[in-house]
Amino acid sequence: MDPSQLRQIAQRKCQDILFCVELSDDNSEAWVGSSDANVYCVDLTSESMARVPMGGDGHASYVTGVCRYGNVMITSGYDKHLVWWDTDSRESVRKIVAHNKWIRSVAFTPDGSRIISIADDMRVRVWEASTADLIGDVSDHAVMTQQNYPSMLYALDVSPDGELFATADRVGHIAVWETESLKKIQQFDAPKMYTWDPKQRRHSTGGIRSLAFSPDGKRLAAGGIGHVGNIDHLGGPSRIEIFDLESGSQVLEIEDNKKQGLVEQIAWQKDGEWILAVGGANNGFLSVFHAGDGKLIHQVDHPGHVHAMWHDEDFLNLHIAAHENMTHWTMREQEV
Amino acid sequence: MNKKRDDESVNLGLLSRRTALQLAAAGASSLAANMSVVDVLGGEAMADQVRRSGKRVILLWLAGGASQLETWDPKPGRATGGPFAKIRTNLPGVEISELMPKMSTRLGETAIIRSLNTKIADHGTAYELMDTGRVAEPSLKFPHLGALIARELGWLDSQVPDYVTMYTSTEGRREGSAGFLGGRYNPMFLTDSMIPPDIRRLESISDVDHHERSELRRRISDSFTKRFDHPVFDGHNAAYDRVRGLMSSDHLFNIDLEPQSVRDLYGPTQFGQQCLIARRLAEAGVPFVKVARAWWDSHGQNFETHQELCADLDHCMSALLDDLKSRGMLEDTLVITLGEFGRTPKINGSLGRDHFASAWSCTLSGCGIRGGTVYGKTDDDGQTVVDGEMNAGDLFATIFAALGIDPAKEYMVGSRPVPIADFDSTPCREVLA
Repeated sequence: MDPSQLRQIAQRKCQDILFCVELSDDNSEAWVGSSDANVYCVDLTSESMARVPMGGDGHASYVTGVCRYGNVMITSGYDKHLVWWDTDSRESVRKIVAHNKWIRSVAFTPDGSRIISIADDMRVRVWEASTADLIGDVSDHAVMTQQNYPSMLYALDVSPDGELFATADRVGHIAVWETESLKKIQQFDAPKMYTWDPKQRRHSTGGIRSLAFSPDGKRLAAGGIGHVGNIDHLGGPSRIEIFDLESGSQVLEIEDNKKQGLVEQIAWQKDGEWILAVGGANNGFLSVFHAGDGKLIHQVDHPGHVHAMWHDEDFLNLHIAAHENMTHWTMREQEV
Repeated sequence: MNKKRDDESVNLGLLSRRTALQLAAAGASSLAANMSVVDVLGGEAMADQVRRSGKRVILLWLAGGASQLETWDPKPGRATGGPFAKIRTNLPGVEISELMPKMSTRLGETAIIRSLNTKIADHGTAYELMDTGRVAEPSLKFPHLGALIARELGWLDSQVPDYVTMYTSTEGRREGSAGFLGGRYNPMFLTDSMIPPDIRRLESISDVDHHERSELRRRISDSFTKRFDHPVFDGHNAAYDRVRGLMSSDHLFNIDLEPQSVRDLYGPTQFGQQCLIARRLAEAGVPFVKVARAWWDSHGQNFETHQELCADLDHCMSALLDDLKSRGMLEDTLVITLGEFGRTPKINGSLGRDHFASAWSCTLSGCGIRGGTVYGKTDDDGQTVVDGEMNAGDLFATIFAALGIDPAKEYMVGSRPVPIADFDSTPCREVLA
């Protein structure tokens, strides 16, 4: 694995917007959540976009989150629902109203016993994965921004050992929770991620759009956008802040003006040496930074705004869900 | 008794009294010289009747262009529809965006127009179009809607301003112009503060002193005008009267004078507070108030932006309509929501929508409007108007008709007749009461 070798292998085009992606164990199939409210199963053995919608009672709006444990896959949508799918039969098996507003993300705990969902009702809800029973409902995120407008709860990540999870919102507030007790054990604030324009346009953009625990669970990376001059567009620096969980302090701040827009997802290299950030504005980017000093290692454009990625441990296969396409990338070293 | 408005007088905006008087003199001289503005077809008797009715307009200006798909004309389930659902309203069969839940229960006095095709989709030109009701011409500066309403519904000797604009954000800020109607009808333009600056009496002069000085000036002036009869001198006196009226109207802009329950109704946002000021001004007889809420130009993150801004619009518009209704004012107050254009059905790579003027929406509520009406229709994707196409001139004609102003009324500008609504425009009878 060499991050400087990051390159695109394939692109599959479509007319819809793809917000989330999950892969089968053998990398032959991908499941993507779409703006047309479908969850598609994509045949990755085909070079073109060969896909079929999953059957049964699914979503009614954008499908924005996906997680899988074995053959149980759960998706979340802006229709306020969580949907359980059987990946073998490609059919939905359960559907519940989980929140009162858009659900932004859903994640399994590593043991597959629980799922966690977050939504713009600013609630963090924990569910029994096998029964869909609600077993926890907490929040540390204000419903309204300081300017009295609705806030949004964008980002969620579960630590590699499953002991903790973190949530982050539009105004840059991060809460870290103990999974078992649902007690908040740490919090951070990244106010530069929230770009309220009090004078020129009088609304805001930004927010923390991505969270990622380091492989050792000691650091937490948060991604979003920095100061935007014209908030009509996403013309601000992509921004990452890394926090140390034990000391409760920010340890790194990265702002990149070469690739502007939102950092929609962050992935750590397995030894915690570097991070891969994906996102974009009208078009997308993939950027690799040293996790210690924030120096840029490698950076490439992506055709269309990147909403999400799936990757294997060594980044030999990296699949991206984007605006009107999905792409396949690798960091495999090229044979000379 | 109020004086009939039959001449040009003075700018009532943020001017010193000296400047106002100078403008009054200049305007009256110009009038006398070339008869620049004369109402030739709309009889003054009819105009007086309209003025006496006490009708007024509150324009909620959605600067930058709100999305029709996220407000009044949702298309869920279509590729262009975006993520929001539509919700039922208190009108059978009528659905609007889920971002407007409060308005969904208050459409009884509102007409939704879903079929605007105004063609122009750049901010500056479109703003001019939707503020004048016609395409700009280099040879003639047309009055903006507020100036026309001030001209038609205001009183010459009114003790309150007759055209007030609040535009706090800086993006897209345009003052508004009276065009060929002259500076007398320019707006009182509030930007940084919601209280007009420069209208308070100097602390060094007591109210009694101020009043006595005014009386002395009037006696001298009356003595003068008995010997020299000329419109300039009428304008001179009217200017002083109105300046004094304005100086005593600053309380209208002070919402601290409202009960807490009313302030709570409008909520804590600046837009809400400005809507409350608009109601206070309308209640005091100000015929036209524009409250601009910027900035809806959501090229990126359209859905996040509309979650923010629609929450503001839905709440404040509902509060305003409720308040006007409870005070018995809605029958005489036309509330308009309008911007320079709508937004593209196509969703761009930044999850934004761009400028779009081919098929978009506005609303008219209250005075002269057949409430509970949905007029016009767009296709399934919101790309084109398929029924009831309406242009800017038609919309203006409808607004004038709702207020009892003859849309065919003409002004003479030099030797050129200029209709108050553009040539060939037609009021939409289906939305008129």
